[in-house]
This record gives sequence, C-alpha cells and structure tokens, in this order.
Amino acid sequence: MSRRSRWITLGAVWGVVVVAAVVAPFYLEGFWLQTGLFAMSAAVGAIGINLLTGATGQLSLGHAFFLAVGAYAYVYLSTDVGLPTPLAAVVAVILAGVAGGLFSPIAGRLKGAYLGIATLALIFGGQHVLFNAEPLTGGYNGRAVPPMELFGFVFADSPGLVLLNVPFGALERLWFLGLLVLAAAAAFARGVLRGRPGLAMNTIRDHEIAAGVMGVPVARYRAGVFVLSSMYGGLAGVLVALVFQRAVPDYFGFLLSLDYLAMIVIGGLGSVAGAVIGAVFVSLLPQLLTRYSDALPLVAEPGSGGVSPAEAARILYGAAVVTVVLFLPGGLLGLATRLRRVIPRIKELRWPNSAPAPASRR
Amino acid sequence: MIPELVVSDVTVRFAGLVALDAVSFTVRPGSTHALIGPNGAGKSTCFNVLSGVYRATSGSVRFGDAELTASRPHQVAALGVARTFQNIALSPRLTVRDNLMLGRHRLTRSGFVSAGLRLPSARREAVRHGARVEEIAAFVGVADALPTPVGLLPYGTQKRVELARALCMEPRLLLLDEPVAGMNSEERREMADLIVSVRESLGISILLVEHDMGIVMRIADSVTVLDFGKRIADGEPDEIQRDPEVIRAYLGDIEESPS
Repeated sequence: MSRRSRWITLGAVWGVVVVAAVVAPFYLEGFWLQTGLFAMSAAVGAIGINLLTGATGQLSLGHAFFLAVGAYAYVYLSTDVGLPTPLAAVVAVILAGVAGGLFSPIAGRLKGAYLGIATLALIFGGQHVLFNAEPLTGGYNGRAVPPMELFGFVFADSPGLVLLNVPFGALERLWFLGLLVLAAAAAFARGVLRGRPGLAMNTIRDHEIAAGVMGVPVARYRAGVFVLSSMYGGLAGVLVALVFQRAVPDYFGFLLSLDYLAMIVIGGLGSVAGAVIGAVFVSLLPQLLTRYSDALPLVAEPGSGGVSPAEAARILYGAAVVTVVLFLPGGLLGLATRLRRVIPRIKELRWPNSAPAPASRR
Repeated sequence: MIPELVVSDVTVRFAGLVALDAVSFTVRPGSTHALIGPNGAGKSTCFNVLSGVYRATSGSVRFGDAELTASRPHQVAALGVARTFQNIALSPRLTVRDNLMLGRHRLTRSGFVSAGLRLPSARREAVRHGARVEEIAAFVGVADALPTPVGLLPYGTQKRVELARALCMEPRLLLLDEPVAGMNSEERREMADLIVSVRESLGISILLVEHDMGIVMRIADSVTVLDFGKRIADGEPDEIQRDPEVIRAYLGDIEESPS
C-alpha cells in the first residue's frame, strides 16, 4: 500500500470511529450507554496500567486502589469539603498521584513481578480502609456521587434536556465528557510513549542495565511512571464513580485489578490502542453475556444458581488471556496489525496478474 | 578535553570469590586501550565497575575529577562514559532510530509533561537530536536500517547499532565489550576499521575487551592483561606479545590459531 492510500484508510477509519462515537447517544439505549461509559473509564485506567506494565515492565496488582482513591476523593472533596466538582475531580486525580508517590520508594526499587506482589498490599489495605473509615467512605454501602457540574451544565438527569428529539439524561451527557477525557488521556499517553520518556521506559523493560548505562535514572523513572499510572487510575475512578453515581468498596477489589491486567494483555501490551481495545473487550463481554444470557447455553440468569453471566465472562476472558499469551503475542492490536500485513498478500495471491500494472495505477 | 581514566587497586569480591584483585591501569586520553585475558579473568567485571553497574569492594576509578566507584550507572553516563555489551543489549522491538534516540537521553531534557503535551520544546529537541542521530547512523553505516526494528537485523548489524547508540551519547570514553565477538572475518575487519575511525575522527578514549588477538594487536595502543582477577602484564602490544607470563597464561596457542 502506498503511503498516501494508507493515510486515507487511516483517516477513514478514524472518521467512522469519531462519527459513531458522537451519534451513539442519539441511538443507543441507557444500558449500552452505561456499558460504553464503563468501557471508557476502563480504557483510561488501562492506558495507565499499560504505561506501567506494558511499556515499563512493572507489574501492578494494586490499581483498583488508585481507582478507589480517585472515586472517594472526588466524593469527599465535592460533598464534604464543598469544592466545585471539576476542581474536586482534578484534585482527586492529583491525590491518586500523591498516593502513588507515597508508594514510589517501593515502586522505584522493586521490579517486575516483585512490585506486583508488593502492590497487593494496597488492595487489602485499601479495602480495609474503605469498609471501616465510615465517616469518609460510607462503609459497606458506600456513598452517593454528586454529578459533575461544568460551567453551570449539570451531568445529571435533571434539569431535563432534549436534543434532536432525544432526551439527554445523565448518561448521554456523560458520554461526551467521557469521550473527551479518554481522548485527552490517550493523546497524553501517546505523547509520553513516543517521546523521550517512552524510550527510556521501554529500555528499562527490555534491558534495565543498558537503560542505566545509557543515562536513564532507572529508579526515578520507575517511580515516575508509577505516579503517572496511578493518576490515570484515579481519573478512571472519578469517571466510573460519575457513571455509577455511587462509590461502593466492593467494586474496588482485587478482581478489578485483575480485570485491568486482562485488558492490557488481551488488547496488547505497551500501547495506547492496545489498552483501549482490551478495555472495550473486557467491559463489553460481561454485559453482552448478561443481556443475552437466556439465549446462551450454560449461562444462567443472575441469581438462579448456575454460572452467572459475570462468572461466565471471567471464564471467557480468562480463556482469552491464555489464548493471547499462547498464540497472539501483541494481543488483539497485534492481530490487527498482522492482518493488515497479510490481507494485501492474499489479494496478490488471488489476482497474480493485477499487481504490476503501473499504467492503471492512477 | 578528554580526561585520563585511572583505575587503581580495584578489588571486587562476590561472597568468597575474588573477581578482581587490586587491578590498576590507566587509559591515556585519546588512546585505544585493550583489556584482555582468558575467560573468567575479570574483564567484564571490570567493565561493570567502570560503568557503575557493580560496586567495587575497594579501590578507586577516577575519570578526571569524578570518582566512578561512588556513582550510579546514570551518573557515570552523565560524565560521558558510554559502553556496549558483550551480549547485545538493544530493545529488539524498537526501531534502530528509537534505540539510537535513547543514546541522546543524557543530552535531552523533555520529561513526562512536555512529551505528553507535545510541547514545542520537546518537538524541537526531538528534531534536532534526530538529525544528529542520522549523522551518527551514517557514520557507523546503519543509516539504511533506521526505520527497521532492531530484532529483525542480522547480528553483525546489531553490533554496529549498539556502537552507534553508544556514540549517540557523545562520549568522552567509550567502553567496548567484545565488539567483534561472533562476527565473521569480513565483519571483524569492518568493525576494527570503524573503531579506528571513531578514535581518529572523535579523538575519544576507547577501552575495549576483546578475544581476537589480531584485532587487539592491530588497533590497541596499549594492553592490560588480566588472569584470575589479577593484572599480569601492562604495556604496548608488541611488548605484551613477548611477555613470557602472558604467553603462558593466555597467548600460548596464538601461533597455531590464525584468527
């Protein structure tokens, strides 16, 4: 494919994605909007953990903790402290970064799987605090999340708003906020990965000693990436709280951390696109199974005793992780790139005479 | 201004094993100095001490005013000491260009925020240093491979890329750990020529570990010989070749093996 036609294809794909994302709230029902919003928040968090695990080779099993910090800090700052909600969201993200920073003496010194084990402590410590610090977190029942209010525009169902004959409730409004946040988070992470820090991070992953010898302060970088990644976690936490409208401690458990790891492994380690693809896959799968559980064999209605859709989804993406690790290095993103390379070759096989025809090329 | 590298009485102990035993030598500014010795003589340990990867049990390494034994690897790098590895230590999935850009790390500044926001300063920096990377790639003869992921390149080319990455640090002292290991004779000759031209055109000091005696004798100005962690000889290449101690320890079979 020539350079120009590749740009055109790329532009077309992006055009379709953007248009689909913008018109979605006008057509989709609430259930799918909510699922999409969960996927967006998951994508933000997955980008963060992909910076850490995929690009730098540092495992974290504790990212659910940073989501919790983001979500609860937002609730606390907006409700109890009375900060304007956008400011509360920003400070919540910074607080998640501070929490990551407090952990960074450990995050800078431990590498790979060892860091993963150390971060488990964050989950269990965090769960304990969430359940027991009731004035702050509301204990078992959690706390209600106040809607975001940006320049007088409230991201809630009331006051009512109708756009092109479609009632615009909280989910429809949040949809666009989620898109913007995700786009900004993705663009920033891409800049980091493509720039000087990304090269240093990749080299720490591939050859730690070489990174040091080439002038990269390895411990400082590991700590820095951990902080950045926890801020992404905090941002994902704020988003998920806004969508869910309630922050409950159960949600921010160990399984959530595992979900995030599944996302980046399935989607593709080390890249922004991989994180987003994996996040969409892992967020959509349980919802699809819930929605169509009656039509699927072996999956029972929730609460009826059999394999629930949520469990079935876990089993399925467990299988997906194994499949990816065994057969698809590079994840779904890697599969897409490989297909892009293979498909033109198949075409050449099928039409062997059509390839060299310079006259007909214009 | 290239300072002298003075290694004095460096001892490294791993538990009970003495890997380096009071080793001393000096690399004169702008010279090519070879460190040779049989397997396990302590050459790589010595390199790891010089680049801050291992800590010496005792002794000192001075590069100008700086004490290298007290420095972390990135601090050694900041002094303008670059090195290559015996087993290639590049990032296989990154392109040659990206691997070389990493060599510019100590000379560039943009951090998470400026790279993430793609500030003009970060972009200008990338363009400027990208141009220099291209020059160095052309000098080393890997310009054609710039957009290729390193893992797809043949071994000999990867060795050159690693040398190019070290040169991208604009070093004052270059440590080469077996630069021609595993190469065929054609590639060996080219690499030796390249090392000579690096020294001539940049005027930097080069310290190399090498097993290929032909190359060592050809390009080195002076040679230090280690055996079992001890220095057994130090001098000009032709003196070393005649040193009975060295012949006994290491060069005994050089007449029979024409390499």
